[in-house]
Amino acid sequence: MLANYLKIAWRNLFKNKKSSFINITGLAAGMAVFIMIALWVRDELSFDRYHQNYDRIGQAWQTQIINGEVFADVSVPFLIGDELATSYASDFNYIVMSSWQGENILSSGEKHLSVEGIFMDTDAPRMLSLAIVEGSMDGLNDKNSVMLSQSAARAFFGTKSPINERMTINRQLDVKVTAVYEDLPFNTSFQGLKFIAPWELYISAEPWIERTKSQWNNNSFQLFAQINDSADFATVNQHIRDAKLKRIPDEDRKYNPQIILHPMKDWHLRSDWKNGQVTGGRIGYVRLFSMIGVFVLFLACINFMNLSTARSERRAKEVGIRKTIGSSQSSLVLQFLLEAILTAGIALLLSLIIVQLTLPWFNEVAGKKISIPWTSPWFGWTILGFTLLTGVIAGGYPAFFLSAFNPLAVLKGTPGRYTGLPRKVLVVMQFTISTVLIIGTLTVYRQIQHTKNRPVGYDRTGLMMVEMKTADFYGKFDVLRTRLKQQGLISELSESSSPLTAVWSNTSGLDWEGKDPNLSTDFANIRVTHEFGETVGWQLKEGRDFSRELASDSASLIINEAAVKFMGLQDPVNMPVTWMGQNFRIIGVVEDMIMNSPFEPVKQTFYQIDYENVNWINLKLHPGKGIQESIRQIEAVFREVIPGIPFEYKFTDTEYAAKFIQEEQIGTLATFFAILAVFISCLGVFGLAAFVAEQRTKEIGIRKITGASLFQLWQLLSGDFILLVLISCLIAIPLSYYGLSQWLQQYHYRSEIPWWLFALTTAGALLITLMTVSFQTLRAALANPVKSLRNE
Amino acid sequence: MNELNQTDQKSTPMIQLQNVSKWYPVNGSRSFVLRKVNLEVQPGEFISIMGPSGSGKSTLLNIIGLLDGFNEGAYLFQGKDVAGLKEKQISALYKQHIGFVFQAYHLIDELTVYENIETPLLYKDVKSAERKARVADLLDRFNIVGKKDLFPAQLSGGQQQLVGIARALAGQPDLILADEPTGNLNSRQGEEIMEIFRQLNHDGVTIIQVTHSEKNAAYGNRIIELLDGWVKPVS
Repeated sequence: MLANYLKIAWRNLFKNKKSSFINITGLAAGMAVFIMIALWVRDELSFDRYHQNYDRIGQAWQTQIINGEVFADVSVPFLIGDELATSYASDFNYIVMSSWQGENILSSGEKHLSVEGIFMDTDAPRMLSLAIVEGSMDGLNDKNSVMLSQSAARAFFGTKSPINERMTINRQLDVKVTAVYEDLPFNTSFQGLKFIAPWELYISAEPWIERTKSQWNNNSFQLFAQINDSADFATVNQHIRDAKLKRIPDEDRKYNPQIILHPMKDWHLRSDWKNGQVTGGRIGYVRLFSMIGVFVLFLACINFMNLSTARSERRAKEVGIRKTIGSSQSSLVLQFLLEAILTAGIALLLSLIIVQLTLPWFNEVAGKKISIPWTSPWFGWTILGFTLLTGVIAGGYPAFFLSAFNPLAVLKGTPGRYTGLPRKVLVVMQFTISTVLIIGTLTVYRQIQHTKNRPVGYDRTGLMMVEMKTADFYGKFDVLRTRLKQQGLISELSESSSPLTAVWSNTSGLDWEGKDPNLSTDFANIRVTHEFGETVGWQLKEGRDFSRELASDSASLIINEAAVKFMGLQDPVNMPVTWMGQNFRIIGVVEDMIMNSPFEPVKQTFYQIDYENVNWINLKLHPGKGIQESIRQIEAVFREVIPGIPFEYKFTDTEYAAKFIQEEQIGTLATFFAILAVFISCLGVFGLAAFVAEQRTKEIGIRKITGASLFQLWQLLSGDFILLVLISCLIAIPLSYYGLSQWLQQYHYRSEIPWWLFALTTAGALLITLMTVSFQTLRAALANPVKSLRNE
Repeated sequence: MNELNQTDQKSTPMIQLQNVSKWYPVNGSRSFVLRKVNLEVQPGEFISIMGPSGSGKSTLLNIIGLLDGFNEGAYLFQGKDVAGLKEKQISALYKQHIGFVFQAYHLIDELTVYENIETPLLYKDVKSAERKARVADLLDRFNIVGKKDLFPAQLSGGQQQLVGIARALAGQPDLILADEPTGNLNSRQGEEIMEIFRQLNHDGVTIIQVTHSEKNAAYGNRIIELLDGWVKPVS
């Protein structure tokens, strides 16, 4: 019986090439989208699962109330590590203090490489369940040791064993390799970590840390912990919440600092905080894309349903015959389902090819390293189940519809009246989904563009940044500046404590006359050299820039407009302020410079002169010269002035553009899916239009010989579809307006959704539909009526 | 001798229609298709239903074949009330007892001659070996062995009707219902089909056919004439 069904199904596929093509292509496109999204979602959900203790690792966050608002941050005080380890020991298996993962210069002999590294407590390898390839899991026990990732070991030592080899970190710290661990996979939070060195070493190397050992209000570190096997996060968080609060002086209690352990399983997907609570994060996109995947697949299923029911007359006779020779309705249902599953199976093969071919592009766009897990058995089973399910969804409705035919009626050639209403509803659904996707995509792009067009407050062209990674960089300011300027390579050079695309230090304790005593002052604090403003091209609004001529400028501050507003100043220039027990004077106001997220408001900031506590060299390239040539020559100067250090630079505009990566990824993926959704919907309408034209051939012939014009016929045949698309747009517009307004809420600096966007989308949808339908209707309208009428 | 056997048996009739009426409601009144039809068919009979267009011949045949329902009366098939049977039970009845032959042949276009004849056996869950034997037997009997791999569209009307009859016989039914089986055929082909029916009837199959042709009706052993839904009394 099965063979009989499959034979029929197979022969039908070939007999109705057009509808088979539409069914298979549409389903394949839908399935490809679904599979891609499923792989993406799986990758997102499996983030950090590499670590065996995944369920019990957490990172300490701290929330504080500043001017009535709760802020959450990952940085914690030095003292919190000891505090948790002594007062709350029973809650934890491991407590690991840590520096920030970042670029460090690692050297072996004369080989220097800039690699990502971190300094962590000795339990870190166990907590993170690193896969030790060589050496010991306790590799951090000795203060002067380092653990290398396999790739780092290979880069420095090739195939030779690196164990016990001597190395230096940042040209300053002598260490011995004690272990090699398997590189952390791409979808882990610590990915790219090339070395881990002991926390103790970090403390001894950085004198400023000594100070922080007594400061509860200095939040400069990270803390990771693994909770006890029998503990749970809720309970532990209950315990440790006030760990800091209990230890701080009364005057600081108003900030109400709370310590919260944020579980590893939420790091990647749920890291947005609001009012001291985790509110979501990437999980929103995971849900959104899961929905898109289901919807796009459903669009393809709708095509199948519509074409199958539209062509039902062709199958009606078979249904009637089978019923008279003893087939029950259930075996007919089974037969039609099998046909749908067969079609889905063929579509699956095609979709896997599409996915395989698209994955490299997809990975690039999505910033992933996903591959199809061909060999894993669960993949086979899942895909099998998925195909069956798709077949059943797509074929279910047609199967029941077709198998319910009354044999007598269909054999007489008058099948039951089919109004086509369900078909119309399905088409409306298709176009609603497609239209929502289009409007969504356009809005995402507008938001990105809107934010990109936001004035950054400085001039990014030809602006380069070099991080001062080791002590070698210091004391070279004048030499570098003079030489690079003399050679005409740059127009200016300056140094600063933060890169131009981030704020590395914040401070409180600023005081001025007329300050509201209840106002907690929280400022971004950027230390700069005199020509900083000239280098970056900031926009002075009031007052003057720093000047080398005036020695008093060591006690001068330049603030941004946000600071003027925050402080509530009328006339800021020459205003005296005190900070850290010192007196300063405001000498100028600059336009807000976007240093952190371009989606957020700019924070109140003050700039001060400092030649010691700086971390970045900023270079403004000389505009007249070729960039590549300039860089080559600048590198030569750097290598000469600071020998033995790899020359690494960043362009401010690329770094700035990187801030849009998440939004752009979302935008590109959404566009891709929206295009496919539209394609699938059009494919369906194309098929339906062909069917309608075919069904009405005789009518068209008669109308033609009675004098209908081509335009009238085209109107007649296209009108229905136009109406359906218009209804879809009417549903889609409020739906997308609501959803997108919600989405835009998360952005402080957000674009509007203008009315013309909806008009444009509606017009676009109509145009696409008309083009799709017209191909069929014109063909039908142009056909010679003699031919169509002769058939009768 | 067959006939003798059957008359002797006088067992339960195969078909009993008692006061069967069928109508359509039209503007509040009834438009009758069949009126108080009483009919008994004994196993082994060969009956021809005749009458002008619109007299209700096909409807009567469809009611007998359970393809259509009726509004009043009773219908016993082999002594059992079959009015209001569920779809599954009707399917079972088709599988065991009834074979249909249509004027327009109604073969499945996507299946070959062989597969068309085989299909009822598949529904009856006949084992593969027996299926092959039975289909081969039928192909042989109707002289269409050479056509077994052709599709219906590749056959002449007469040949298609042969396949249609072969298919109807594949399930070894007791009753063949034929609605103008020769209506689309030329006279030579028509005679051939009628000869086959006669032979089948000799072999014990009960046949009820609807026909326009006196000549074809003569192949049967009883004629039922319909007029405006009434059964004309036997003259």
